Amino acid sequence: MDYTRREILETLRMTELEHFDVRTVTLGVSLLDCGHEDPEEAGRRVYAKLMRVAGPLPGVVAEITEALGIRVANRRIAVSPVALIGTKAEPASYLAIARAIDRAAQEMGFDFVGGYTALVHDGFTRADRALIASMPEALSTTKTLCSSVNAGSSRTGLNLDAVRLVAHMLKETAYLTRESGSLGCAKFVIFANAVEDNPFMAGAFHGIGLPEVVVHTGVSGPGVVCQAIRRAGPCDLRALAEVIKRSAYKITKVGEILGRQVADRMGVPFGIVDLSLAPTPELGDSVGEVLEAMGLERTGACGTTAALAMLTDAVKKGGVMATSAVGGLSGAFIPVSEDAAMIAAVREGALSLEKLEAMTSVCSVGLDMVAVPGDVSEELLTGFIADELAIGVINHKTTAVRVIPAYGKGVGEIVSFGGLLGEAPVMDLRRLSCETFVRRGGQMPAPITSLRN
Amino acid sequence: MDRERLAYQVAEILLRHLPQGAEPSAVEAVTADLVRLLEAQASGVAATDEPPGRRLVVLTVLGRNHSGIVHAFSEVLAEAAVDIVDINQTIVHGNFAMMMIVDPTSAKLSFSDLKAALKRRGDEVGVQVFVQYEDLMRALNRI
Repeated sequence: MDYTRREILETLRMTELEHFDVRTVTLGVSLLDCGHEDPEEAGRRVYAKLMRVAGPLPGVVAEITEALGIRVANRRIAVSPVALIGTKAEPASYLAIARAIDRAAQEMGFDFVGGYTALVHDGFTRADRALIASMPEALSTTKTLCSSVNAGSSRTGLNLDAVRLVAHMLKETAYLTRESGSLGCAKFVIFANAVEDNPFMAGAFHGIGLPEVVVHTGVSGPGVVCQAIRRAGPCDLRALAEVIKRSAYKITKVGEILGRQVADRMGVPFGIVDLSLAPTPELGDSVGEVLEAMGLERTGACGTTAALAMLTDAVKKGGVMATSAVGGLSGAFIPVSEDAAMIAAVREGALSLEKLEAMTSVCSVGLDMVAVPGDVSEELLTGFIADELAIGVINHKTTAVRVIPAYGKGVGEIVSFGGLLGEAPVMDLRRLSCETFVRRGGQMPAPITSLRN
Repeated sequence: MDRERLAYQVAEILLRHLPQGAEPSAVEAVTADLVRLLEAQASGVAATDEPPGRRLVVLTVLGRNHSGIVHAFSEVLAEAAVDIVDINQTIVHGNFAMMMIVDPTSAKLSFSDLKAALKRRGDEVGVQVFVQYEDLMRALNRI
């Protein structure tokens, strides 16, 4: 037999018992040819292009996953940053496009579409301002649309005005979606060093350097890594790194095989595998649990940052062996509301926002799916976001904030979103004022390390 | 063992067990086939001349052991004109585990219909059935 019994059973254990799934197949689609001075016409063009280009994807994915014997959690689309679609630079214009995208996605059975995006790391265009102004309404009146802003980069520094504008926008979105736990904010992320080929939400968009249409995959698989660590028992860190690398290799390989077959069938190029460990709220599918299996009593204990650093690094090393097309964010995700062990750690007081912030300096991506009290001021929220983005700008890595200032909720209350987004205990921010600092406004200059030429 | 000696021994065994007057050309043909098989086994290469590009399917059956499980599945495969390339079956602590490598190239059913038929048979027999193309097995376990 070409495969040993052990190999076949190990593969089945991974796909059937250890919650392994490919988190997303994301189709990147350029919408740059859909612009029109009449926003309604631009919307019609966007709708028509998405229906034509993305329509076959759900069927193709279903067929290939059945043949391979694996599951795919989400089918998603990433579109060009919508602020770049030429149309009248008014909020209403972009709302017309938002509705067209959402309608197409729902009709075709996609879970999310990313790309309601403005890239403002070194300043705003009129279109960027109009798009950001339209975000509260767009996020509260659509179902699948996800939105992002890139507010800083290691090359340009940090646009603090953009951060402040986003803080204001988030408060408004939280209010508009107050009936559903301020869900609108969970569909928005603010970045430093956003990447063009990220298949994960809410931050996916189709970068301007990419081909017309492209297929990316984003893997998941903390459960697989966790079980492998448990089976390894008491070994030293070198041996543990080896165990993680082997698991990451397998997880990534599945993403690569699936992505290539889907791209082949769609007749479009294959882009990248994002080899991030992405958790779900389901038990046994948690990055926090991996850290605890490595030997921590709880996520948030001393040693958490070190363990996460090692985990992230080993995942990358294993992953790059499995594919030559690594991209996206690629690391470990630590979204609080989407990870059962993280939720438990916050509830018990083991994990604070400060510790989370420290953790984000060694992993991708940032403060993800954290809920804070609805009454935090716009300035405080600005300072909170700026801190996280500064880590990215200075360290040449992507960092992001997906924060929910949960309207009407106080510390310790639970905000529930359902599905993959899970539920988040509201965490407190240090209530010391940063008002004078953030009101200075302007651009925080690029770090000295940006001068590399 | 060199090839000639192996062939000689195989032919000897055949002549010992076959009735008198067996067709010499038939004995020769069988000998050649067996030698090829034994050599391939020894070198670890698949014995069959696998046509390039053939995409095989792995059928795994797990469950409580009872009689008739292998028959149940080979019947479905035979009806669908699916060729069994390899089969490996074992009992561990009363649990039945069977892995079959099958070739659906000339199957009468589409992959998803074949999978559904095998799953249905699994439900009837009371065992778990997993059916997938070999891609993952091939890619995940060997670098």
